[in-house]
Amino acid sequence: MANNDKLIGDALALAACGLLGAAAPTRSHAAEPDGKWAIDTAVLYYGESDGRVKDASLSALAIREFGDDRKLSLDLTVDTLTGASPSGAIASDLPQTFTSPSGRATYTTPAGEIPLDSSFHDTRVALNAAWSQPFARLYTFNAGVGASSEFDYQHIGANAGFTRDFNQRNTTLNLALAYGVDKVKPVGGVPIPFATMGDAVNEEDGNVAGRAGDSEDKNVLDVLVGFTQVLGRHSLLRVNYSYSDSSGYLTDPYKILSVVDPVTGEPLSRTPPPGVSGPSGIFLFEGRPDSRRRQSLYSELRQDFSGKVLQLSYRYSTDDWEIDSHTLEGRLRVPLGESGYLEPHLRYYTQSAASFYRYSLAGGAPLPEFASADARLADLDAYTIGLKYGHETSRGNEWSARLEYYQQAGKAPAETLIGNQPGSVQMPDFSAVILQFSYHFNL
Amino acid sequence: MGSPCEVLVDSSREQPAQAVTSAVAACAWRIEQKFSRYRDDNIVARINRAAGQPVEVDEETARLLDFAELAWRISDGKFDITSGVLRRAWKFDGGDRAPDPEGVRALLPLVGWSKVKWHRPALTLLPGMEIDFGGIGKEYAVDQALAAAAEITRDPVLVNFGGDLAATGRRRDGSAWRIGIEDAAATNQASPQAAGLLELAAGALATSGDTYRFVKAHGERRPHVLDPRTGEPVRGAPQSVTVAAATCTLAGMWCTLAMLEGRDAEALLMREGVRHWVQRTPVGDVSH
Repeated sequence: MANNDKLIGDALALAACGLLGAAAPTRSHAAEPDGKWAIDTAVLYYGESDGRVKDASLSALAIREFGDDRKLSLDLTVDTLTGASPSGAIASDLPQTFTSPSGRATYTTPAGEIPLDSSFHDTRVALNAAWSQPFARLYTFNAGVGASSEFDYQHIGANAGFTRDFNQRNTTLNLALAYGVDKVKPVGGVPIPFATMGDAVNEEDGNVAGRAGDSEDKNVLDVLVGFTQVLGRHSLLRVNYSYSDSSGYLTDPYKILSVVDPVTGEPLSRTPPPGVSGPSGIFLFEGRPDSRRRQSLYSELRQDFSGKVLQLSYRYSTDDWEIDSHTLEGRLRVPLGESGYLEPHLRYYTQSAASFYRYSLAGGAPLPEFASADARLADLDAYTIGLKYGHETSRGNEWSARLEYYQQAGKAPAETLIGNQPGSVQMPDFSAVILQFSYHFNL
Repeated sequence: MGSPCEVLVDSSREQPAQAVTSAVAACAWRIEQKFSRYRDDNIVARINRAAGQPVEVDEETARLLDFAELAWRISDGKFDITSGVLRRAWKFDGGDRAPDPEGVRALLPLVGWSKVKWHRPALTLLPGMEIDFGGIGKEYAVDQALAAAAEITRDPVLVNFGGDLAATGRRRDGSAWRIGIEDAAATNQASPQAAGLLELAAGALATSGDTYRFVKAHGERRPHVLDPRTGEPVRGAPQSVTVAAATCTLAGMWCTLAMLEGRDAEALLMREGVRHWVQRTPVGDVSH
């Protein structure tokens, strides 16, 4: 060309678009990998029974391909949580009064009910960005950063990984590393483990007792080694091993334990000084170990039965808190008509209690090194049953609706029960409904 | 299209695969009938027989003419859809016959887009001039066929018209399509050997080359790319050029422009940052 230093590529590409664009207005997103965004949006509602936690979440994931398999993805989620969650205290035959986490007010739970902390509400914003690109033909490299923020919790993290294809791309090995730094800034300050819940203190009367500092840190390292094998034309096997090492502040600052009569197992009661509102019993803030190492093994099989796709997975996880869990999950995707599908979903989860889980603490007995009455650390069974319907529009966009029902039942290990508790034990079991609408489109 | 046409649908369902095949075939036939220069009942024939009179063209033809005009402009006149008449002096049949320089010279007044009046939607050629969309049509058909396929199914589709091809995206298992590039030196054998295997996740691939069509002139293997400004074949043109781009039309135009650059084909493609594979006759192997 005469004009050697002036590139002609842009003009040509533009002209080719002019030629094809008008003639093919409904061209598929995949046909032009360059310069297009694929967007996934979802709105999700999660509601627990008995007026407990409700979560409304909006999320958007945008992926842009830059050709040669280079890919940028941006992910934004906004969550709003409202409702009450179990505080860890046990139910009593009498109404019970607690100081709220801020230390400035009190609330009362009626007799016979599991105490819930109703000051639970939060808005969380999370943003992640990731880049992936191939190198040296059979490798793909990816890296990302992310951050999330809510009023009492901040997270920043980074991750990197690579994928290597073998065996004519029938085998894929991937290795991923992620590191997160979290800061917990509990309302009212960081409770000292096993400090007694104090009386409510007015703003002008100074600090809340039993608190030490404003914030604590937590670091999490995750390592994943994954292996995917194509088994013939219709099935795929994936096996992942992951290792997670958390250290720092792993305690839940809002969870407490009831101190009970060592003979009867009934909550001990107290009366706040005259003119002061405060707890009607003795409640201690929980304390957990400052490290947790967890290993999981995950296997998944996908099988295509002439259009119906079955996905079965099993996960075994074990950690040094002695929580061992098993998750069994299955989905079956059944095509419905030319452009729709129906996907039933079943999931079963079971775990053993953490070694330091206590239903309550016996008054007068020496304090354990660690203790938590968080029902999520007890023996637990949960199942999910759900159904999803998806539909692809004529323009290649796709929407789906998912409805799921979740039920969780906990069990306090017998050796953690005191006095008459085996006859009266009440776990904060609940069920929840999950409803999600998703829409995938291209820009 | 003068070459085998195939469509691959990566689907477990039969019905969309059949619908896609029919749509792609319909699209191929439509473009073939509308733009082939071997027919006497289409728009190309009407333009070429107009004998100096303006011909009003439809929107699709107008877009192709716009594209051809832009390619002519950015190539400084080397890409020219009026250069087809030079075929009368050249025969690309693998034979030894050299062109008659007198004949070529006599044809040159009928070649050159600068002699054409193109005012949308009217095109006026000098009497005796001809246009043909040979350098664009097949690639354009691939893109249109793929777009038609993508309207029917979301399953990955690859459309291949005689080696010019485009795919909607990765295969269902996430892998790229594996494409063999024919070895230009070996394709007159019964089983062509792949000179290279490349992977295409999405987008298009086009190839220009003298694989089947060449003449020997002055002891030099002559590729079938002519410089319309001189009527001479382009010297030092590669044996074949393959380009990957977002669309087949774009890839095909890069191939043609690279061929027209002759010895500088690779330099052009590298300067423009185009993914390409160029095959040349090994040095000392120019005699056959």
